[in-house]
Amino acid sequence: MPPIIFYLLTLATFAAIYGTLVIGLNIQWGYAGILDFMYIAFVAVGGYVTSLLMMPPATPGMGETYILGLNWPFIPAIIAGGLCASLLALLVGLVSLNRLRSDYFAIVTVAAGLILWTIAGNDTPLVNGWDGISGIPQPFANALNLDINSYGFFFLGLCLVILILVYIFAERLYRSPFGRALRCVREDEMVAQGLGKNVFVLRMKAFVIGAFIAGIGGALLVTYVDAFNPSAWTSGETFFLWAALLLGGSANNRGAMLGALLVPVLFAEATRFLPTFNSSPQLVDAIRYIAIGILLLLTIRFRPQGIIAEPRFRVPRRLFHRIGTNLPVAVAANSTRPTIVAEEEKTDGK
Amino acid sequence: MASEASMHFTSAQTARQQATDNQSRSILLDVRDLVRTFGGLRAVDGCSFTVARGSITGLIGPNGAGKSTAANLITGFIRADSGSILFDGRDIVSMPPHRIAQLGLTRTFQITRELEHMTVLENLLAAPHNQLGESFWLGLFAPPAVRRQEEEYLQRALQLLRDFDLYALRDEYAGNLSGGQRRLLELARVVMTQPKLLLLDEPFAGVNPVLAGRLSDYIETLCQEQGITFLIIEHNLSIVERLCNTVIVMALGRTIAEGTMAELRENQAVVDAYLGES
Amino acid sequence: MQTLNLLLLSAGFGVITASILAIAAVGLSLQFGVTNYINFAYGDLLTFGIYVAFVCNQRLGLTIWVGLLAAIILTALLAWLLNLFILQPFADRGNSPIIMLVVTLGVSLILQNVILAVFGSQFQNYAVNTGRPLHLGPFLFTPLQLSIIGLAIVAMVGVHVLLRYTRLGRAMRAVSDSPELARVSGINTRFIINAVWVLTGALAGLSGVVLALNVASFTPTVGYGFLFVIFAAVILGGIGRPYGAMAGALIVGIATEMSAAFISSEYKDAIAFVILIIALLIRPQGIFASRGRA
Repeated sequence: MPPIIFYLLTLATFAAIYGTLVIGLNIQWGYAGILDFMYIAFVAVGGYVTSLLMMPPATPGMGETYILGLNWPFIPAIIAGGLCASLLALLVGLVSLNRLRSDYFAIVTVAAGLILWTIAGNDTPLVNGWDGISGIPQPFANALNLDINSYGFFFLGLCLVILILVYIFAERLYRSPFGRALRCVREDEMVAQGLGKNVFVLRMKAFVIGAFIAGIGGALLVTYVDAFNPSAWTSGETFFLWAALLLGGSANNRGAMLGALLVPVLFAEATRFLPTFNSSPQLVDAIRYIAIGILLLLTIRFRPQGIIAEPRFRVPRRLFHRIGTNLPVAVAANSTRPTIVAEEEKTDGK
Repeated sequence: MASEASMHFTSAQTARQQATDNQSRSILLDVRDLVRTFGGLRAVDGCSFTVARGSITGLIGPNGAGKSTAANLITGFIRADSGSILFDGRDIVSMPPHRIAQLGLTRTFQITRELEHMTVLENLLAAPHNQLGESFWLGLFAPPAVRRQEEEYLQRALQLLRDFDLYALRDEYAGNLSGGQRRLLELARVVMTQPKLLLLDEPFAGVNPVLAGRLSDYIETLCQEQGITFLIIEHNLSIVERLCNTVIVMALGRTIAEGTMAELRENQAVVDAYLGES
Repeated sequence: MQTLNLLLLSAGFGVITASILAIAAVGLSLQFGVTNYINFAYGDLLTFGIYVAFVCNQRLGLTIWVGLLAAIILTALLAWLLNLFILQPFADRGNSPIIMLVVTLGVSLILQNVILAVFGSQFQNYAVNTGRPLHLGPFLFTPLQLSIIGLAIVAMVGVHVLLRYTRLGRAMRAVSDSPELARVSGINTRFIINAVWVLTGALAGLSGVVLALNVASFTPTVGYGFLFVIFAAVILGGIGRPYGAMAGALIVGIATEMSAAFISSEYKDAIAFVILIIALLIRPQGIFASRGRA
């Protein structure tokens, strides 16, 4: 395979995986307004669990204590990975989601993520500490028996299938009354309560569902890269995904996928081609993060809704006609989406 | 101890008695001896009143009388230190606000709180509680029952919008509405929940006379045609006089009188505390 | 007996950590009290101070104490500029605390990585003589560590005097308690907010340098890593309560050091995080508040 094709294949695969991850984050933040800074920990849990379940027994004498030798097939393993991530979210949410306002909850998530990260790194028997795990079986590799090149295309196809499924799932959720209730909670918690919505339960559901998708994406990520250690899931990685979501467009899944394409993939990869100065590759990394930071600030300042804004709700034409309304025609609403209004500015009518 | 046990028995008995009395006498809301302290301040200090079914009841009082706190206590946004609140025979004093709303007691807020980044129509569609589609699985798979309910809500919402003359704005972001339109939207939204009791927190504050007239008409129509009971906290006494059958007066955290406006004008305590000032 | 000695020894180390922590925590607490949003870039202000002192000490050949002074002044300046040109404009547009948090995150990313780009990620240290460890009863301190504690005490006393006995300090407390009331009383809240940022920056710079002196070697991420330990102290003491922050720092500092006597020292930070989570869950208003604020 010519290198350029291989390179594009890699980019496309990462794009699909990150797309899945950012959609999951969107369900937490875009739908429900939950600020979750431990998202990457859910990704890690999914990745670790899936890999450990799929690994065959270790060669005796190798001293790898983390290998369970269960040899699971891929599909049960990835579902288990998603479920374990959800379980973690359930624990964190049950303990803290109800009691804290959003920014304090964010701090708890950072702290929780850091604790998990520290444990993963130091408690070596668990997931092999800072060295991490490797030698992860490729999904369906035995069943298909493809050569390396063809397998690459297969895996891309697998990621795309999962991405499409996740996208359809997320879109259905958004348009459903459940999604509407989530957005109601996001917009104004007190109003939501006053309208009979159980804010805590709704938030928990969004948190757990988002974590499940993170776990799925994590499983794909780790099986693709075939090596995983704590340096791959520092809290900085969460911010990458965050920047992707904010830039691409919060609260809508096409924006999420666009952001996933732009930030982790194009951005990160394109900067790889920056001439490596006589300095280290760390310089390139640093510049990358500086640019992310600037991008974040610019986005919040000039385009807080992101590149693709959250779509405006309109009743589907067919449904509208079926109701058989002979009500007067509405004035076409092409107005702009309201920007955040400070509390003092909310005055009453003249 | 025996005496404590019998006291406990008696108060439970009293509560049940109250409940049956309420239902037979058609008292929808029965507030007794509410107390709520903040720091050292007794914001509500023994507040008791009743709201009759099908009435438009006003709640007035000088600033700092504890009206807003009472409203928050009744709707569950703040927990009372002591006292009881019986709504349609049920004790709601320790219920969370969303449960109280589900029982049919909804409210508006002093500063309008619309769901800004959602359209006017969506604001209404989000309003009904216990929608079938709000559960995760039913929402995801949208069986015919869910779709039928959605259509029903849509029809009701569109009709409400037409009644409130907001129909043309149905696809507009709620955050882009003018102040007067927001007031109407808030009212329409709570009406969409088909409440038994609607608590309006200063709905006429800063509202021009024309809009005030419209709002009053809506409230009267809703009360007569749909049987919604209203409890309105308001400062504008002429509106209260025009609109409300019964008026409750609060001052310094407690209720000092209850009756028609005419009766209250005769009441010296009320005049001293409140009416004399305006 | 062995255990007791070990405990006392680690309690001593805890006091040093607490000293460093107290300076930082007071700074953050003051700033949070006045601005009402969480500042994720605070740790990087510490890092900035550390590297200012580093330049003075290792690149310009000055003593570390000159570096310390430079760190205090320049970090104060940076904090003031950050607020003036970035944070205040965002806050003025009515952004919610969540959005402001993300803004500070962006600032943190930029600040941290600019330092990384300039200085590289390798471990650096100061050229300073720690002196031989002295036995003070059951405790073991080097003269350098004693000066750290001394500096902390001086800083705390200075802050106390400022807040209690100067007009500026009283105005700061007023704005922290109730911005609207302060404004109505004729206090120029804009000016006070900027003044608080200057003070915060100064404390951050000081705290950074003593942190670096204590851990001996540092990288550009050292401030950010310390941030959550600072959060733990601030939350424990109650946001906006500088005296609470001092107490919180003492508790967190001693608790983390003493726990390290029993479990592996790599988990020291994790202990702080656990304290942070527990504090947020059980008593987010801090251990000294009489009523809830969070």
